[in-house]
Amino acid sequence: MSLLHLEIKNLIIDALGLEDIGPSDIGNEQTLFGEGLGLDSVDALELGLAIQKHFGIRIDADAKDTRVHFTNVSTLAAYISARQAVA
Amino acid sequence: MSGFIALRDILLDGVDERTAAVGPALERRELVDDALRFAAELQARHIQQIALHLTDAAAVAIALLGAWRAGVRVVMPADLQDDSRTRLLHTVDALISDDQPLDTWLTQAPLTPAPLAPYDACLVLSTSGSTGQPKLIEKRLYQLANEIAALEQQWGAALGDALIVASVSAQHIYGLLFRVLWPLCAGRPFVREVQPYPEYLQQASLGHRQDFAWVTSPALLKRLGDNLDWQALRSVRKVFSSGGPLPAGAANDVQRRFGQPACEIYGSSETGGIGWREGTLPWTPFAGVSIEPSGDGGFLIKSAYLPAGHAEPCADAVRHLTDGRFELLGRLDRIVKLEEKRISLPRLEQALLQHPWVADTRLGVVHTNRAFLGALVALSEQGLQALRNGGRRALTEALRSHLSGHCEALALPRRWRLVGQLPSNSQGKLPQRDVDALLAAERTRQPERLSLEQQDDEWKVTLAVPLDLAHFSGHFATTPILPGVVQVDWVMSLARELMPLPPRFGGLEVLKFQQLVRPGDHILLTLRFDTERSKLYFTFHNGEATCASGRIVLEQAHA
Repeated sequence: MSLLHLEIKNLIIDALGLEDIGPSDIGNEQTLFGEGLGLDSVDALELGLAIQKHFGIRIDADAKDTRVHFTNVSTLAAYISARQAVA
Repeated sequence: MSGFIALRDILLDGVDERTAAVGPALERRELVDDALRFAAELQARHIQQIALHLTDAAAVAIALLGAWRAGVRVVMPADLQDDSRTRLLHTVDALISDDQPLDTWLTQAPLTPAPLAPYDACLVLSTSGSTGQPKLIEKRLYQLANEIAALEQQWGAALGDALIVASVSAQHIYGLLFRVLWPLCAGRPFVREVQPYPEYLQQASLGHRQDFAWVTSPALLKRLGDNLDWQALRSVRKVFSSGGPLPAGAANDVQRRFGQPACEIYGSSETGGIGWREGTLPWTPFAGVSIEPSGDGGFLIKSAYLPAGHAEPCADAVRHLTDGRFELLGRLDRIVKLEEKRISLPRLEQALLQHPWVADTRLGVVHTNRAFLGALVALSEQGLQALRNGGRRALTEALRSHLSGHCEALALPRRWRLVGQLPSNSQGKLPQRDVDALLAAERTRQPERLSLEQQDDEWKVTLAVPLDLAHFSGHFATTPILPGVVQVDWVMSLARELMPLPPRFGGLEVLKFQQLVRPGDHILLTLRFDTERSKLYFTFHNGEATCASGRIVLEQAHA
């Protein structure tokens, strides 16, 4: 688990108020929304805000299907790295 | 706005060249033709009643209008959880859902266009009831038609021929009216799929070279972020919001970003629309809606959106202002709203009580970034064993998964507080505000004191080890054990409370941990301070067995 992965997992736990779950309980490839962790679209909205704030990036509002990057921790890590490179 | 068509006459509109929906585009005559084909299929199968749960707003329109044309009653469940599916399978002849493409129902030759029957065409909405069972609410076409006509009267001119883009589903009355039936009657195109994220709404709105209006909810408007093209979005004709009041902060954000206030709609499935407001002003009742005190502290709604003479109880407390407007003061029952979704606390409590580990339970709402449910659970003997042998996380996971068949993910409790029995106040009651306060609090770090007695220079304190002690989480995840360091900490803090002691900690002697202390144990702590040696003697007993013992050396502060 890279530092960025760990940072994202901690952000998910903090931003969404998850109890009894530690970073090691969230798999890098585990689906975050719907099945899996049982998070919903409001969590996706919250996480979108938290990620933009925490990492100082912007979700590109003109790109198609931006929320595909929210599939799991690995896709988020790749997206955040790419956006940070843009900024 | 020219070309408004009454809801009952929608299917007579077969030659209309306008676009009904986009994404992908569907012309009005295609929509009407599909509805008449769907009607033919229902008739061919002798279907009397269908349930409808679809994400495509155009498909919702086709199925609903087609069913009405065929004289078929339509049930719209609030969700498709296992519970709801089972209930539906007993009551309807067919479930029309995303499981199967609607096209498979559109192969018959269409029925002839005909007006719909205002007093017979029936829609049954389903929402959380305070008794625990879902509440079914019957709407006749004329009720919906009256509401649509009133909305067009109020905002038709402001909307023009705007494209309707929505972040809410068409499965509830607000979405069904605002993003499907009203646009259809008014001739405004609507975007078929729900757009749950800000950037999706923006993409669906811009680039059509057309005006647009938004049908949203506080869940979205509270979380707009700042990555959108506000300059382009300021051309939005209206930003509707409904499902719950928009907090003042979010209302101000909307005003600042869009250069106009959100237009909030207040109402419910039961009552239909009651009133509206823009910005943070009080609410204005819709024309012809009356809100009267019911005498028992509640309110009754009468309007043209309800059957004639019917007075529908209102779930909120209302304060009337002298100018005819009103303010909302909060709900009167144990239904809560989480992100505009209505959740029946009694229903979930009943479902939790079916689990053998649960002796009693009360739910409440916890407010952090988002609001979610918390559960205060009194464990049964079996539940206590499960906690002691498997740990807290396995227990709460099992309870969550037990509940998941009964409710949407949104309603699954995220915070759990485990107790031996539910507390009660001096009247023997557990008011909701106490439940909410217990759920809001951090997990305890202190033992519960059951009794205290002094014999000569010795103190005996009986302690209950809380089931939910914060220290159990890391120690250990699957077998919670009271850490020795916490035991020593409890000894020191209790001893300092009970007797005068030298201030400085000088060390531990003959410290022994002989038996594990676990959640729910009652332990007897014996304390004695030997002044001559300046040592605090302590022993923890669980029944006959000694759990731990030792001496703590205490010293006078040095000058």
